Amino acid sequence: MNRNIAPDIKTPDNIHLIPSQRVTLDNGLPVYVIDAGEEDIVKVDFVFEAGKWYEPKNLLADFVNRMMREGVKGKTALEVADIFEFYGCNLESNVSFNNAGFQIYSLTKHLPKVLPLLMEIFTEASFPDGEFSTILNNRRQKHTERLAKNDYVANRNFLSAMWGQSHPYGRVTEYADFENVTTGMLRDYYKQYYNASNCLAVISGKLNDELLKSLNDIFGVKAWTGATAPKDVTHTIAPNAELRLHTEKKDAVQTTIMIGNATINKYHPDFDKLVVMNTLFGGYFGSRLMANIREEKGYTYGIYSGLSSYQNGGILEISAEVGKEVSEATIAEVAKEINILRTEVVDEEELDTVKNYMIGKLMRSVDGPMKYSDVLKGQILYGRDPQYLNQYLKTIEATTAEEIQQLAVKYLDFDKMYKVTVG
Amino acid sequence: MIHFNEVVLANGLRILVHEDPATPLAAVNILYKVGARDEDPNKTGFAHLFEHFMFEGSVNIPEFDAPLQFASGENNAFTSNDITNYYDILPATNLETAFWLESDRMLSLDFNLESLETQKKVVCEEFKEHYINQPYGDVWHKLSALAYKVHPYQWPTIGKELSHVENATMEDAKAFFFKYYRPRNAVMVVAGGVKTAEVERLAKKWFSDIPGGELALHNLPKEPIQTDARILELHEDVPLNAIYKAYKMCDRLHADYQASDFIRDMLSTGESSRLYNELVKEKKVFSSVAAYLSETIDDGMFIVEGKLNPGISMDDADKAIEESCLRLADTVTENELQKVKNKTEAYLTFSDTNVLNRAMNLAWYDMLGDPNGINREIDKYLAVTTGQIKTVAQRIFDKNRCSTVRYFAKNK
Repeated sequence: MNRNIAPDIKTPDNIHLIPSQRVTLDNGLPVYVIDAGEEDIVKVDFVFEAGKWYEPKNLLADFVNRMMREGVKGKTALEVADIFEFYGCNLESNVSFNNAGFQIYSLTKHLPKVLPLLMEIFTEASFPDGEFSTILNNRRQKHTERLAKNDYVANRNFLSAMWGQSHPYGRVTEYADFENVTTGMLRDYYKQYYNASNCLAVISGKLNDELLKSLNDIFGVKAWTGATAPKDVTHTIAPNAELRLHTEKKDAVQTTIMIGNATINKYHPDFDKLVVMNTLFGGYFGSRLMANIREEKGYTYGIYSGLSSYQNGGILEISAEVGKEVSEATIAEVAKEINILRTEVVDEEELDTVKNYMIGKLMRSVDGPMKYSDVLKGQILYGRDPQYLNQYLKTIEATTAEEIQQLAVKYLDFDKMYKVTVG
Repeated sequence: MIHFNEVVLANGLRILVHEDPATPLAAVNILYKVGARDEDPNKTGFAHLFEHFMFEGSVNIPEFDAPLQFASGENNAFTSNDITNYYDILPATNLETAFWLESDRMLSLDFNLESLETQKKVVCEEFKEHYINQPYGDVWHKLSALAYKVHPYQWPTIGKELSHVENATMEDAKAFFFKYYRPRNAVMVVAGGVKTAEVERLAKKWFSDIPGGELALHNLPKEPIQTDARILELHEDVPLNAIYKAYKMCDRLHADYQASDFIRDMLSTGESSRLYNELVKEKKVFSSVAAYLSETIDDGMFIVEGKLNPGISMDDADKAIEESCLRLADTVTENELQKVKNKTEAYLTFSDTNVLNRAMNLAWYDMLGDPNGINREIDKYLAVTTGQIKTVAQRIFDKNRCSTVRYFAKNK
C-alpha cells in the first residue's frame, strides 16, 4: 500500500434510470408514474402552469397558491390542516416564475384518506376574507424582514435591473402591492388556472393499483377540465442601462455581491455544455472562483456561479458575501477569472474532474424514486424524454477544452454584466 | 428497520456497515466525538475552525476535495456543540477513494500554516455572514450565554467572538488533532451498495496502521438547575420586534425526550399546531412563531420564538407564549397525541429513504451509546402517553427556568 497513490477509479458511463410510465386520467390530465422503493411512502406532485408569468397583478399567483389551503367549502383552514396532519401527511405548496405546485408526502397506507381533500383544495377553495387578512399581514411582515437582509435586496436589485419592472422575472414587491390584491381577484385567477387541462402530476414511491385507480376517480373527473387558461401572455424585457448598482448599508461588515446577466435556457442547444463550463468556473466547491477567492484569498465563506433556466429565459449569476474591505478586490478577481477562461484553454485534468463530479451529481440526483421524480418533472417541463439524461451524460463527457473556451467567449462578458453590491 | 454489521479494528476504530443493494452509491460517514462543548472557554470556535482545517491536505495527500470529485464524489462536514461529522458520497465502485482520503487525514494532517491562516479568514467571514451581518444573527450568542452559566453550551459552535478564531495557533491544532482525532474517538459508517467483507478488507488495509490513541473524556461541568427568570432586552437595528424564550429541558437520553419533542410538534409544526392557531391566527400577537429543541446531548433548551405584530407590547407577547405553552398541559387530547405519533412515524420513515441520512443517523445513535437506537426510536415515541405530555409540559414551561431575549427594533 502506498498512500501517495490514489486508488483506481471507474467513472460510470451510463445512468440507471428507474422506469416510469405516463398515463392519462379520464379528463386528460397526464400522470407520470414512478413505482419503486422499499419504504411504504409516496409523493404526489401536481404542477399547474399558474406562476408569476400569468398574474395580472404582482403577488396574485403567490396569494392564490397560499390561500387555497385556507379553507374549502364546508371546512375551515384549521380543519383542512388538521386532516392532513392527523394522517402524518406533509402538504407543500409553492410558486415559481412559470409554475405553481402542490406536493403531498404521505405513508402509502394513509394517502387514500387525504386525496379527496386535496381535490377539494383544487376545486372548492373558499378564500375566506378573515384568513386572507391574516395571511396578508404575515406576508407584509415577512417583506419587512426580507428587506433587512442584504442578500435579498441585492437579488431584488439584480433581477429588476436585468428584466425590468414590468417583467415577471424582474418585478419587485412594494408595500403598496399588498393593498392591491382582493379575494375576488384570487377567485378569478384560481378558476382560470387551477384545472386539469392546465396541470400535470408525478406520483412516486411504493404504489399499488388501487391507489392509481383512486387517483383517476378523484382527479380524473371531467367536470374539472375547466376553461382554457389564457396562455397568450407576453412580457417585454426592459433592462436597466446602468450596469453598476450599489446600495449603501453603513453598518454592514460584509458586502453582498451579485454579478451576471440574462442568458440562454434549456431550450438552447448550447445549454448543457454551458453547465459544464459554469461548473468549472463557479458551480461547485472545487471551482475556479472558490479556489481563488475562498481557498486562496479567504475573502468569503463561499462564492458560486449559477445557471438558472426558466421557460422564457435564463440567468447566469455569480454571488458572494465578502468582507466589506475586499469587495472591490473580489469583483476584480471575478473579472480576472472570466478573462482567463476566455483566453486560456483549460487543462484536461481539471476538465476531467469537473466531468466526473457532474456525473456523480447526476447519479445522486436520480437515486431513489422521490429524488428522481423531481428530475423527471424538470425534463417533462422542457418537453424532454426521460432518457434525455443519458444523452446529457454523453454531452458532458464529450465536452472539450476548446468548447469550454468558446462558450466562455460567447456567454461570459464581464463588461456586459450587471454588478450589484449591497453593503 | 435498518440492518447493519459491525467491524472493530485492533486500534479501536469501529465501523458499522449498512448494506443497501438498491443504490449504486456509497456513503462514508465519520463522526469524531468532539464538539464545541470540549473547547477551552478562551479558545472557542476551535472545533469548527478545525473542521475547515481537515480539508486542507493530509500527510500524504495535498488536497482532499479534488481526488474525491475526480472519483465522482461529494463531501461535506458539520460541527455541533457535541460532535464533528464528516461525510463522503460517491459511486460504490469508487469506495476505496474515500477510504484512502479519510484514512490519511485520520493518520495525520499536513499542518500547513498558510492553510490555517486562510481558513481563519474564511471562518471569520462565515461568522460575519451568519452571526453579525444578519438581523437577529447574534441571538445564539445572547441566548446561550444567558441560559448556561457553567456548561460550555454557553457559546455557539462558531465561537464567542472573532478574536478567538483569529488567535488560533498551529500548536492548538496539533494538540487538538492528536487528542480528539484518533480511531478510538471516532465511529465510521459505510452504507449503500457495499458488502461488509469488502468494507472490512478496505478498513484493515487503510486504517489499521493508525495509532488508536485514547478515548478523550469530556468531563463537563453540569449546569446547575436554573431558579430565576432571566431576561435580556436588546435595542438593535432589526426589522421587527422579536422574542426568543429558551426553557431548560432534559438531555438527549432522558426518558422525557420523546415527550418533549411531541410537545414541540404540537405547539409549532404545521398549520394545525397550537401556537400558530392561537397566537398568529386568533389573537394575532405574532406574524410568525416557531418552537424547536437545541437537540444537544447534555441538558438542552426548548426554544420558542415569535416576531411581533405592530402595536403588540413585548409583555403581552411574552405572556401569550407562556399561557399557550402551559395550556397544553391541561388540554392535550388523545387525538392530538395520535396526530403527532402519525407525523413522527411518517417523518422517521421519510428520513430513512436517503442512504446518507441513514449513515449519519447510525453514527449519531452510536455516539449516543447504541447504534440500534435508530430502530428503537419509533417505539419510544409510540409509548408516550397524554399523562406524560402533561407532566413534561409542566416541568418544561416553568418561568423560573426560562431565559428570554427580547429584541426592540430601533427607529420603529
